[in-house]
Amino acid sequence: MTTLRSEVQQRLVAAHLVALATLPGIGPGSLLRWHRGVGAEAAWRTVREGRADPIRRLAGSRVRLKPAGIEAMAAAARRIDPEECLERQLEAGCQVLVLGQRGYPSRLAQDPAPPAVLFARGDLSVADGPTVAIVGTRNATRLGRDLAAQLGQELAEKGVAVVSGLALGIDAAAHRGAVHPLVHPGAPAADGAPIGRPIGVIASGLDIAYPRRHADLHQDIARLGLLVSEVPAGERPSEWRFPARNRIIAGLADAVVVVESRSAGGSMLTAGEALDRAVPVLAVPGHPLAPASTGTNDLLFDGATMVRSSRDVFDAIGLVVDHEPAVVAPHDRRAPDAAGRIVLDAIGDQPSALAEVVSRCELELEDVARTLVTLEATGHVVRHAGWFERSARGRSAS
Amino acid sequence: MLASIPSAMVRGADGHPLIVEVHVGRGLPGLTIVGLPDASCREARDRVRAAVLAAGVGWPVGRITVNLAPSGTRKAGSGLDLAMAVGVLVANGDLEVEAVRGMAFLGELGLDGTLRSVPGIVPLVDAVTAPEVVVPVAAAADAALVAGPKVRAVASLGELVGVLGGHEPWPDHEPPPRGPSLESVLDLADVRGQPVVRRALEVAAAGSHHLLMVGPPGAGKTMLASRLPGLLPDLDHAQAMEATRVHSAAGLGLGGGLVSRPPFRAPHHTTTNVALVGGGTEAMRPGEVSLASGGVLFLDELAEFAPTVLDALRQPLEDGVIRVSRARFAMELPARVLLVAAMNPCPCGEAGRPGACRCPEGLLARYRRRLSGPLLDRFDLRVDVVRPDVDQLLGGQPGESSAVVAARVAAARARAAERGVRANRELDGPDLERAAPLDAEAHGLLTTVLQSGRLSARGLTRVRRVALTLADLAGHHGPLTAGHVGTALQLRADVSAIQGVAA
Repeated sequence: MTTLRSEVQQRLVAAHLVALATLPGIGPGSLLRWHRGVGAEAAWRTVREGRADPIRRLAGSRVRLKPAGIEAMAAAARRIDPEECLERQLEAGCQVLVLGQRGYPSRLAQDPAPPAVLFARGDLSVADGPTVAIVGTRNATRLGRDLAAQLGQELAEKGVAVVSGLALGIDAAAHRGAVHPLVHPGAPAADGAPIGRPIGVIASGLDIAYPRRHADLHQDIARLGLLVSEVPAGERPSEWRFPARNRIIAGLADAVVVVESRSAGGSMLTAGEALDRAVPVLAVPGHPLAPASTGTNDLLFDGATMVRSSRDVFDAIGLVVDHEPAVVAPHDRRAPDAAGRIVLDAIGDQPSALAEVVSRCELELEDVARTLVTLEATGHVVRHAGWFERSARGRSAS
Repeated sequence: MLASIPSAMVRGADGHPLIVEVHVGRGLPGLTIVGLPDASCREARDRVRAAVLAAGVGWPVGRITVNLAPSGTRKAGSGLDLAMAVGVLVANGDLEVEAVRGMAFLGELGLDGTLRSVPGIVPLVDAVTAPEVVVPVAAAADAALVAGPKVRAVASLGELVGVLGGHEPWPDHEPPPRGPSLESVLDLADVRGQPVVRRALEVAAAGSHHLLMVGPPGAGKTMLASRLPGLLPDLDHAQAMEATRVHSAAGLGLGGGLVSRPPFRAPHHTTTNVALVGGGTEAMRPGEVSLASGGVLFLDELAEFAPTVLDALRQPLEDGVIRVSRARFAMELPARVLLVAAMNPCPCGEAGRPGACRCPEGLLARYRRRLSGPLLDRFDLRVDVVRPDVDQLLGGQPGESSAVVAARVAAARARAAERGVRANRELDGPDLERAAPLDAEAHGLLTTVLQSGRLSARGLTRVRRVALTLADLAGHHGPLTAGHVGTALQLRADVSAIQGVAA
């Protein structure tokens, strides 16, 4: 079997794969099957001719194609020139990586469901070192986000590349934590290990930042680490892309940490993809009544490894690090007074409304309100749209 | 032959006197109405003819012209039927001119001659200049609320012809049964638990601070809001008269008395712009905001209202009146409301508790965009309503009754009156500085919050106002304490916090 192909041929394959990926109604599954089977160029010709039967044969028996869908696909194909398509991706600053060609990440090449074509911005060598995915719900609690950021930072400081999806909540918090040591370099680590660089896997084209409020994070990750997607530049994310994106996250990681997730959350899909690939799944325990932790608690019940600190993550990926106690910030502000401690106890571990705090601590509304303002100012309590949560500081102080 | 009969028409909440002139002359038989009548007014032609015949009087054989003066303004509704019928009879010589001198006539005629009431009896009677006014029996009680003309109630045109013809005395009709009273019978004592919302209601009532309640379905937002009017003091005579006029103009039953208790209006979220602020027809029916004037306007499911409808509320909330201008006229309707709104924290309603909400981000963003910042900015108080504990629902002590709270509210309002305002919401600038000094600890607390950037200058003014109301309610004299300021801070409506419900 000859694997020697001229560069021209390789470029042709790439161009046709990109063109096929641009068409409406073609998912990663079909793309991979054609790439491995008839080849991208043959598939492209069939689609372009627009005859229903050959296209149905090409799509396979599992895919049901409506006549209108075939029509739309063929019409789009006739408007597109594959060479131009490829050129546009390169102009958008995307590296185009084809499964089986040089440069394609080796982790994904061994994946059971690899993307046939992958777009990347940044440094591909980032994915060669140890990697850990940190994922979780978009609607996270303050504590969950704090923990995700802390894990992200501690892993990065020990040279681990943090993989995540750049979604709201846990994903973004983990990445912000991972980016932190790169942007604010402190003292170099004792063992001289380089700082791990983040990997972002997104469900839209690389030129589209979604959600928009994370545009800065997008740029940071492409600049400092690696940003990948199987979606051509210019395409907005569609709903079905997100679960597909999760399999790439699982495929790129040595371990998947779920920080907070509900039982039906998207992070549970990522955990499922990880189990399919024999990638260890770790989960952060939560209170049984905390809605944001029902999914992670389910994972733990089913045998996932518990995460109490970054140490547990290092153990799971077999990375030996000298454990240093976390540096405790000097107490530069007042410790809470007696009323403050009562109120902190009343808030407990769950986000609580003012009414709940008042009825739990049996103080007058005036006293509770004044104490809460003080606690918020001293950083023991975080208020968010009428919900009070204890910060890490507030937990240690009560 | 010519007759001119005084009557009145209603526009908005105000009556306007007018003269119905009737001329019966030679020519082809027929009746023409001039003076810009609208459709229902023009149809009076057929009602009047049938009613006159039913009263046993012959219909004039000749050309009848009815002029509604002043003829430049549009006339709407059927309230001029009776005046036209009497005019026809006088002009035709069936009734003496002397018999109707000094009398105004109001009411709609049925084909059998019965007299029916029309919306706006109170402003109509208020507007007539004649010393006596004839109204339908059903409207007699409402008409009697107006100090002024002597009210004569008749049941039909036939009866009226008998009286005016000198054959019979004025009839003495039984007053119709009183309608349901508008008075609120809901007591705050029914509410179990909810200490914070109770306090917020009390503060809203005392200081007339607009209140926003955020909470999941079933937490009791509507139940709580409907108890707010019970905490407000009675309307004074001028306010009661205004509220009565508006209710009458909108065609609502008055229950046979002045509207002396603060009204409570809860329009549904599908309410249109016109239904909320008034206008629409020639009669310019008052909208829900005017009906709630002097009382409480409750907007349940605030985020479900059309954004344009909510934005139409901004000017009335600021000025206390609605100015409606049309090509031919401009008018003002009262709009001094205490606005109470309730909304779910997000479309799934799941308490908005961080980590519990299942709403996708895009949906949340759309939900938040429906509420404009400037409207949210009008709320002085925001309170999160949580579902009460089971213990409190089943066991718990009943809370304070409305009467007890209302007494405190009345005392607080009295203190506001000493400052020269109706309620603390109206305090501003130097008046507020003077009325609400801070003690050292409160000053320190506010300094901390201001330095942290979580409170703006405008927010500070509101916090002081609300803190002043809290102090008034507690009977506290002297500078505001940290407790008052802290509570006001926790009850404040923070626009960014509402818009970032679950961000």
